[in-house]
Amino acid sequence: MSQKIILLIEDNPDDEELTLLAFQKCKVANEVVVARDGAEALDYLFATAAYAGRDVAALPQVCLLDLKLPKVDGLEVLRRVRADPRTRRLPVVILTSSKQDQDLLESYDLGANSYIRKPVDFERFLEAVKQLQLYWLVLNEAPGGGNP
Amino acid sequence: MRAFAASIVETVRHPLLVLDAELRVRAANKAFYAAFRVPDGQTDFALNGEGFDIPGLQDRLGQVADSGEAFEGFEVRHDFPGVGPKTLLLNARLVVSESDPSPMILLAIEDVTEKKEAEDGLRRLNDVLEDRMRERTAQLETANQEMEAFCYSVSHDLRAPLRSIDGFSRELLKSYADRLDDRGRHYLQRVRSNSQRIANLIDDLLQLSRLSQIEMKYETVDLTTLAASIVADLRQREPNRQVTVVIEPGLTARGDAGLLRVALENLLENAWKFTSKKPHATIEVGRAGHDGPSAFFIRDDGAGFDPAFAGKLFGAFQRLHHERDFPGTGIGLVTVQRVVHRHGGTIRAEGAVGNGAMFYFTLPHGDEP
Repeated sequence: MSQKIILLIEDNPDDEELTLLAFQKCKVANEVVVARDGAEALDYLFATAAYAGRDVAALPQVCLLDLKLPKVDGLEVLRRVRADPRTRRLPVVILTSSKQDQDLLESYDLGANSYIRKPVDFERFLEAVKQLQLYWLVLNEAPGGGNP
Repeated sequence: MRAFAASIVETVRHPLLVLDAELRVRAANKAFYAAFRVPDGQTDFALNGEGFDIPGLQDRLGQVADSGEAFEGFEVRHDFPGVGPKTLLLNARLVVSESDPSPMILLAIEDVTEKKEAEDGLRRLNDVLEDRMRERTAQLETANQEMEAFCYSVSHDLRAPLRSIDGFSRELLKSYADRLDDRGRHYLQRVRSNSQRIANLIDDLLQLSRLSQIEMKYETVDLTTLAASIVADLRQREPNRQVTVVIEPGLTARGDAGLLRVALENLLENAWKFTSKKPHATIEVGRAGHDGPSAFFIRDDGAGFDPAFAGKLFGAFQRLHHERDFPGTGIGLVTVQRVVHRHGGTIRAEGAVGNGAMFYFTLPHGDEP
């Protein structure tokens, strides 16, 4: 199970801490890799820079992508992930603050698998994480990389 | 025949000249003498002298004399001594009389100076207006872009700290509860409920600003079905409430479906909220027949409001109830009003304390394409 990695792309340290706390409370046992901006996320996914040598074929089970990120924003990360045959099937869940139409529509247009708006109420965020875990880590069959 | 021709020339209101092949004036009418301040009756002067040396004209007239080819509408602009600058439209044609075999040129002159100036003025005015419009449009576009960027930033950046405030407060309450007394826990609850309140406020404000920006798409909207689906959502949220909802069948209006949904949502959520203290409440949606076919009402038998403050109902952030009785942001009815106004309609409210509220609104653009 431990090889089912969750890639959390999140620049806000508070949000990172709360998301990890929510994972802990929901007993998510998977390894979580945190990328703190879009460039770092792309480095991880395409095994460049600090992640050189990582096996690109070992896709995370799911990628939780914030939209507003420093350097390379979330939509650009999604665009590049979908444009590369090695990563195009990666399940990407947008996990962000806004529900602005432009964000929502563009995310789906670019091939996001799901769009979740982080609720302000932490109780509801826990509920969302629970559902997310059940669906993307348990029910959903990922396109490969986790279980050969 | 000569007299006949001469009297025609004399009668015409435009200046007329008869020139010989050397471009000397052989005859002129009264209108010419008057317009160009030439002493009455003077003839036999050359058209290339006497202030009539108009560039290009000699050549054109020479062509008429040589080839017999007429011209029409030849525009010249020239400063005539004692007369000032004039814009003229000229027609010229070769005429041959039987009694006099030498060819003559008939030159008709139309003074279009004033017309030209008026046209130029109009063109200049148009240019100015177009410039101004371009400028305003650019300003408006900039303002819109800034507004969009602002909303985008609010939507993303303002909510994030609220999540942290709520999340960490909740964690304090859950994991450190044993190290807090009742008062400490109470304070944290206040922190949490206030962060939620700001979040709701942000959402409502964003919705309000979005309403004004989106382009409206007119279609026939089934208000009966729309209202029913909103009520179904409300029932799902609070399944234990006892509310009788009566929606008149066949309510349709022409308008923007998205905007009308927002308006009905706000009105029905209000009715739902303000009847929450009643064990059994009634909400009605229908056509307000006496106000015309495009007038509708939503009535509830809830807390109502003091009619003395009815004017405040549609003001932003204005609330007629205490937060502890009926929570809200005070933006709902502003939103409804904005939607109704964008449809060219009006909205008003009737009510009494403890006696329910009734909202009338019109959506008059029934025949809009």
